[in-house]
Amino acid sequence: MLGELEQLVLLAALRVGPDAYAVTIAEALDAHAGRTVLIATVHRTLARLEEKGLVASRMGEPTPQRGGRRKRHYAVTPAGRREVAESLEAVRALARGLRPGWEAS
Amino acid sequence: MTPRLPLRLLRARLGDEDAEAVAGDLLERWEADRVRRGAVRAGLTLWIETIAAVLLLPRRRRDSLRGDSRMRSFAADLRHAARLLRRAPGFAVVAVATIALAIASSTVAVGVADPLLFRPLPYPDPERVVTVWERDRDGGPSNVGWQTYHDLSAGARALEYAAALGDWQPTVTGRGDAERVDGQRVSWSYFRVLGARPALGRDFRPDEDTPATRNVVILSHGLWARRFGRDPAIVGGTVSLDGRPYAVAGVMPADFDNVPGPRAQIWRVLGYDETLPQACRTCRHLRMLARLRADATREGAEAELARVSALLARDHPKDYPAVGVRVVGLAEKATERVRPILYAVLGAVALVLLLAVSNLASLQLARALRRETEFSVRAALGAGPGRIAQQLAAEGLLVSLLGGAAGLALAAALLPALVARLPEGLPRVSAMRLDVRAGVLALLLTLAAGLLAGLAPLAGSMRVLSFEALRGGTRVAGPRRRLARAALVVAEVALALVLLVGAGLLGRTLLRLSAVDVGFEPSHLLTMEVQATGPAYETDAQVFANHDRLLAAVRAVRGVEDAGLASQLPLAGNIDRYGVHAEDKPLANPELAPSGDRYVVSADFLRAMRITLVRGRGFSAAEAADSVPRVVLVSASLARRIWPGEDAIGKRIRVGGPDGPARTVVGVVGDVRHTGLDEAVSQQLYFPERQWRYAESQMALVVRTRGDPAALAPAVRAAVRSVDPSQPVIRLTTMERLIAATLAQRTLALVLFGAFAAVALVMAAAGIYGVLSGAVAERAPEIGLRMALGATPAATLRRVLGDGGRLAVAGVLAGAGGALAVGRLLRGLLYGVEPADVTILSAAAALLLAIAAAACLVPALRAARTDPMRALRGE
Repeated sequence: MLGELEQLVLLAALRVGPDAYAVTIAEALDAHAGRTVLIATVHRTLARLEEKGLVASRMGEPTPQRGGRRKRHYAVTPAGRREVAESLEAVRALARGLRPGWEAS
Repeated sequence: MTPRLPLRLLRARLGDEDAEAVAGDLLERWEADRVRRGAVRAGLTLWIETIAAVLLLPRRRRDSLRGDSRMRSFAADLRHAARLLRRAPGFAVVAVATIALAIASSTVAVGVADPLLFRPLPYPDPERVVTVWERDRDGGPSNVGWQTYHDLSAGARALEYAAALGDWQPTVTGRGDAERVDGQRVSWSYFRVLGARPALGRDFRPDEDTPATRNVVILSHGLWARRFGRDPAIVGGTVSLDGRPYAVAGVMPADFDNVPGPRAQIWRVLGYDETLPQACRTCRHLRMLARLRADATREGAEAELARVSALLARDHPKDYPAVGVRVVGLAEKATERVRPILYAVLGAVALVLLLAVSNLASLQLARALRRETEFSVRAALGAGPGRIAQQLAAEGLLVSLLGGAAGLALAAALLPALVARLPEGLPRVSAMRLDVRAGVLALLLTLAAGLLAGLAPLAGSMRVLSFEALRGGTRVAGPRRRLARAALVVAEVALALVLLVGAGLLGRTLLRLSAVDVGFEPSHLLTMEVQATGPAYETDAQVFANHDRLLAAVRAVRGVEDAGLASQLPLAGNIDRYGVHAEDKPLANPELAPSGDRYVVSADFLRAMRITLVRGRGFSAAEAADSVPRVVLVSASLARRIWPGEDAIGKRIRVGGPDGPARTVVGVVGDVRHTGLDEAVSQQLYFPERQWRYAESQMALVVRTRGDPAALAPAVRAAVRSVDPSQPVIRLTTMERLIAATLAQRTLALVLFGAFAAVALVMAAAGIYGVLSGAVAERAPEIGLRMALGATPAATLRRVLGDGGRLAVAGVLAGAGGALAVGRLLRGLLYGVEPADVTILSAAAALLLAIAAAACLVPALRAARTDPMRALRGE
């Protein structure tokens, strides 16, 4: 079972696509979910996801930006996609049948 | 303007790639923020992000996780050990103090010994700096005469530079009070031999080294700073020495260590006057120093100089009693007198260290036994043998590190105090401090002590905990545990015996030495040196008149009984010896004539010193006041040596070569100890000062007082100054202190050995007490059973005392060999006592056994009072 932040980070990474790294993921969370998170939090969440095998990381090539420092790029693994789908399905299943106003019918 | 600090923080805390990626991300965010939200908020966010990253992200990635957890568990072990220590403050204090004492004493001893024994001299290529000695009649090393020095240094290819040196004590006048300073007269090449250069100004030049141009000096940094206020203009200017101007060529650097003369503060170029009578080949009054060429060896140089010396002996057979030259490294020569005591002290310190470790180990064993349940539980919960060893090591290390820190602090306080009390004239004193080497050694010793003591419960013959036994819930067999602790106690008693015997030997030596008859009455004597130099004392008559005024002024001081002047004092470290040629006993080789210490004295010197008159008479007033007829007093052993079985009175002798003026012996006086309390009695000659060839400008003044001599010191000093304020008074002290100073090395050794022995006694007593009280507690049921079956309290008492006694006796037997070894090690310091002295050995053994008995008594009484019923019920 994914934590809430893990779920959000996975979804954001899928949405950003090939250019996913901590900063773009944080921006996606801000733009689409209205959640402001620390870069460090994103890093820690990604590290935990990587330990579970749900994302894979690689160091990028140095660019003239950010003082020539490389980025750590993340891609969601097939297991990650499965996990996020199951997790979303669980949320949906729980929410199914609730009326507007979140009352049981 | 990139913010450096946060980035550096990240780099320091995170793994390389993490740091790079995170720092890059934060930088990117910061740059965007600055545009959008302004520099202040961007900076604030950056700092929050940085701190969060440092706190949230793992310090390193995967690879080092194993080591990390090992470190974390060790830290936890240390915390656990600290909690245990807080719960057992008694153990903590004893254990920490034990290690602190051992570390402090070893650090101090090594701090003093290191520069003298193990470090090279502070010169370039120090092994090439050597001292060169002629051989005397017995083949021993002797100083060199000027001609010999000249011929040796000219004839030897192995020497890059050679230098002759003599002592020199000028009086500095002008700029404040007259002051006499210690210095050296040296060849121009002296500093080149050492490989040192002045920090200010220049070195001596070869062309200055002549009698006409020799008023040139180089100052030590200390004298320059103290006396001349660090005035750089003094270089190139002049200073006034003995009332005459000397050009100042340079100032040596502050860190220059003058090993050939540690007291010297000023150097004058030698400028040897070959027309003077002391330029003779037999006048061996100079020391010779040389720097070997890079390709030369000490042995090669010695062989080459010996060939030169053989040629000299062939050409001047009457001047050389023995052929050959000794070449000794300067480092070896400078430390030869202190080496035995240093090795002895290092040995004692090593024993104390061993004792401390075994005591700590013994404490740990006892604790490990009490905590057996705890270890069993840990083993049952899955702690492996390594894990338990790690915990024990952490406990040992915690104690030893605390002790080591305390010991280092103690050493930092003790070392300067000890250095200040070292015998005077020791080289390399400035290098005796706590430095990195001493610190590292202390740390290593501390770690080793902690590990050894900590792991003792698991190790070899001392094993009281066994992992298999712990896990299986069984115990290591009882006898084995008792044996382990007993072995440590035996070792402690043995070490204590060794130290006690060392202290005993040194104590007996000091007793013997202070009972030595010095040949005069040393109590109630004040001594000092006075000097009359400068234009006011050009003629001998002026000097003698000054001496008369001086004695009159001092005698007028209230409380002064008598006063006298002499060219040298016994036991003050002077060597001034002349050959004696008896008219009625001519010798084929005058070099083989006996010699005596030359005392040029005022008429009342012998009375002031209370030197006994054996035969004949002292100097008459006429002889003291006039130069003819020439008379002399000889000491009893000299008279016996020259005229065995004959009366010396009326015999005629010549001194300073067979051609000197003849003098009639008018009296024979008692011998005095001149060179040292432990040296054989030497022979003396006394001359009235007006009958010597020249007036001595520097004299020792002795003042016999009615009361405490030290109390009269200010009044006597004022009396001397009242005669001539430019006359410096130096080395003002009492004769008793002068004699005590000759014993300083041995006193120091005794104090150290005594202190170490006391520590050892306490540790051994505590060890015996600990073992026995533990055994009594453990065997309470057994003792109770025996008593229930009819053992009397007295029998129980005897049994326990017997157990302790056996340990102590075993320790004494084990220590006897070490005690003999310490005697051999101390041999050079002993006097009037054999290294293997049976009385001292038995006294030390008896003392140890008595203390052991006292330590046994408490647990033995406790055992004897055991109530059989309570013990059997297991209460």
